Amino acid sequence: MKYLLQRIAFYSVTAWAAITINFLIPRLMPGDPVQALMSRFQGQLDTNAIDSLKALFGLDKHQSLWQQYTDYWSHLLDGDLGLSFTNFPTPVSEIISQSLPWTLALVGITTLISFLLGTGIGVFTGWRRGSWMDSLLPVTTFISAIPYFWLGLIAIALFAVKWPLFPESGGFDDSLVPAFDWPFISSALYHGALPGLTIVLSAMAGWILGMRNMMVTVSSEDYVMVAQAKGLSERRVMFSYAARNAVLPNISGFALSLGFIVGGTLLVEMVFSYPGIGYKLFQAVGGKDYPLMQGIFLIITLSVLAANLLADIVYMLLDPRTRREA
Amino acid sequence: MSAYPQSRRVRAVAAAAVVVALAAGCSDANSKNNSSKGGAGASGVLTLGKPDGPQTNNSNPFLATSAAATLGYRVMVYEPLAMTNRIKPADKAKPWLATDWKWESNFTKVTFTLDSRAKWADGKPLTADDVAFTFNLLKEHKALNADGVPYDGVAVQGKQVVLTFKSSQFVNQNKIIQQYIVPKHIWASIKDPETFPNRTPVGSGPYQLKSFTPQTTTLTATPDYWKGETKVKELRYTAYNDNSAATTALATGKVEWSFVFMPNYKQLYIAKDPKNYKLWFPSGLGIHGLWFNTTRKPFDNPALRKAMAMVVDRNAIYVQAESTLYPEITNPTGIPLPAGDSFLAPEYKSATTKPDVAGAKKILSEAGFKLDGGVLKDPSGKAVTLTFTDPAGWNDYITGLSIIKDNIKQLGIDAKVKTQTADAWGADVANGNFDATLHWTNSGATPYDMYQNIMDGALLQPIGKPSQTGNFGRFNSPEATKALKDFANATDDATRTAAMNSLQKVMVDQVPMIPTAAAPIGAEYSTKNWVGWPTEANPYAPPQHTQPTALEIVLNLKPAK
Repeated sequence: MKYLLQRIAFYSVTAWAAITINFLIPRLMPGDPVQALMSRFQGQLDTNAIDSLKALFGLDKHQSLWQQYTDYWSHLLDGDLGLSFTNFPTPVSEIISQSLPWTLALVGITTLISFLLGTGIGVFTGWRRGSWMDSLLPVTTFISAIPYFWLGLIAIALFAVKWPLFPESGGFDDSLVPAFDWPFISSALYHGALPGLTIVLSAMAGWILGMRNMMVTVSSEDYVMVAQAKGLSERRVMFSYAARNAVLPNISGFALSLGFIVGGTLLVEMVFSYPGIGYKLFQAVGGKDYPLMQGIFLIITLSVLAANLLADIVYMLLDPRTRREA
Repeated sequence: MSAYPQSRRVRAVAAAAVVVALAAGCSDANSKNNSSKGGAGASGVLTLGKPDGPQTNNSNPFLATSAAATLGYRVMVYEPLAMTNRIKPADKAKPWLATDWKWESNFTKVTFTLDSRAKWADGKPLTADDVAFTFNLLKEHKALNADGVPYDGVAVQGKQVVLTFKSSQFVNQNKIIQQYIVPKHIWASIKDPETFPNRTPVGSGPYQLKSFTPQTTTLTATPDYWKGETKVKELRYTAYNDNSAATTALATGKVEWSFVFMPNYKQLYIAKDPKNYKLWFPSGLGIHGLWFNTTRKPFDNPALRKAMAMVVDRNAIYVQAESTLYPEITNPTGIPLPAGDSFLAPEYKSATTKPDVAGAKKILSEAGFKLDGGVLKDPSGKAVTLTFTDPAGWNDYITGLSIIKDNIKQLGIDAKVKTQTADAWGADVANGNFDATLHWTNSGATPYDMYQNIMDGALLQPIGKPSQTGNFGRFNSPEATKALKDFANATDDATRTAAMNSLQKVMVDQVPMIPTAAAPIGAEYSTKNWVGWPTEANPYAPPQHTQPTALEIVLNLKPAK
């Protein structure tokens, strides 16, 4: 319990530091939102619009950094993330709640699938090393070595353009409106299939390799030998003795990748025009959209911290050594 | 007691879902079947798309950041008082909500007469009150007045609206007459029109918002549009995340109308269906060019700038840098042709931008420059070198810069090309912290907007202080400043022509900026399902779907047979 409290205290301090850095970074970056907007429109927007845009974004008022910082905290504590500049005047919270579910669903599910599948395959290839399953390794490693955007583009070229089995872009059919009904859900699943498959394909190899190598190490340990000597079933030795110990590094890796679900999916969303949050962050950075950037960074920070806390707890349950009080 | 009805409800919902699924499947299958015969037009849907990324639900027509403006659907919902054609700026605007507009007393007063048939999509008549309300909205809310027009007096006289101004609005006249009008009965109760998301927009145009999703906005035809029936029953605007996704959608026919910059469009797009896939990039009166920092030595010397302008190979820029999508500049005044034909001064009518190395060398030697061992030395004996700068990744600009670099090598000028982040570059350009950079200009109904953007002395800022609205090169020419002022305030055409001619002379002789390409108002469109698009032979409107004239195009479209 003391261990857990320590961790929670540590995470609170980290959260405060992260939120403060989150406030500072956009302000230290060069450029301003109005200039970025003018560059985005490349001459389609008359320079006379600059004055009206400054008034619109409220940038014509000057405030000290400290004043901005205290305002930032008081708004944050009210749950107010401000209005986005690139999509003015849409509230940041609305943009996040509109794009986050897509990313969570697509990348969350595929990360889980690739973790389970990869770790499972890793357990078997590690336990039965030298079997035909070892030949899987170079294949999956090769696929994971292909840069993701390239894999995605090849998948689109083959399965959406040449043989149109899947739609090439978007999160759902253009003629539908998001709703909790079958046409929409089926369309969302159908549109998520190709990006999902490519994510699983490219992410799986890492899990397989990590798990296999740990299994190889663990299976030569004395306690595994003892378990076998006791005459326990092969299955029991493999899962309860070897795999339970071998999976620890993969668990912490999984927790980290959970944290990066929110931010690390830009390429998927770019290639497949998927309506998620990674692409929104990309747009926010390009558009110097401070409120939106801060909002998304906040979500990423909190999800990384939450995932780490979760990993700590799981670790504690799996590995008695972490529970020992010093 | 409740079990039975509930299970029945569940079954009904399931049945409805199946029906919807089947209907969705059918309409999909229909459009696929039809498209092979060339008639998804028969189903009445036109699909549009652009690489803008997911949108948020905002149909405020005044904000450039709204989905309505970004995707371009505001032009189908709200209508202007008059329709101007940016690729034929010399033509008189077409009446739209106003049947007539009269400028009086030196462009300080305009009287609009409204079309009495005009009405809002909710059936209420569109009156002079609505028009006056819209202009008052712009006058009171600076943030909504993106054109920066100095509105002053707004009055309703019966069925007419009279606007008065403190100064001549000759150069702003198109911005004023093509203003979108919003209904007073809805907007009058809005407290903060700047942050009003306007999620159920009511306009006078032929389309109404049917559904909004971050990915696709669907508009449906208003049944009793005041100008008559439209053939296109539904418009679907899809936002793609990047150019390549939008290009794929164009190539597969999923999007029928778009504008995406694609370097090898012949192979990526046209070749997929040469009969139907069209691309047309005409220009208005905006240009791209190499802006000089005219305060830095030796580039403060007009002879040097002129000589450099004489050797730049615009055709190479057109073909290699702009992939033939940005029309070539063929006149040294920088005025794009044919759009600006009628503005050309007599002495430049037949002038060309063909590279002339010998002529350029002659100008340089007359100005005291010397070629010394292949290196150009300025009159004080210093070697002439400079650094070009533009954002990394803006490939057309970077290619353009390297072409110019090779061109001026012939004069003995050594140039370096530096790339920056777009942000750092934007700040450097505004602050005057550059030697020379490729940048665009404003555009408008006359070449005034472009020239004013390049050389208006009224915008002059010292180096280091941002000059955001123009004259980034700190070009200080009292002659040009006076001509710009004369043009804007003239009371007769003769004065205006004289001012325009002298602006061209300054541009050709002093070269504050070397024009390199015209800014296109182009688009890709497919004739597979819909015909009636503007073409080079019938340029009734620029083809781009975010222009106000897109409404005219949609009203012109017919299903392909």
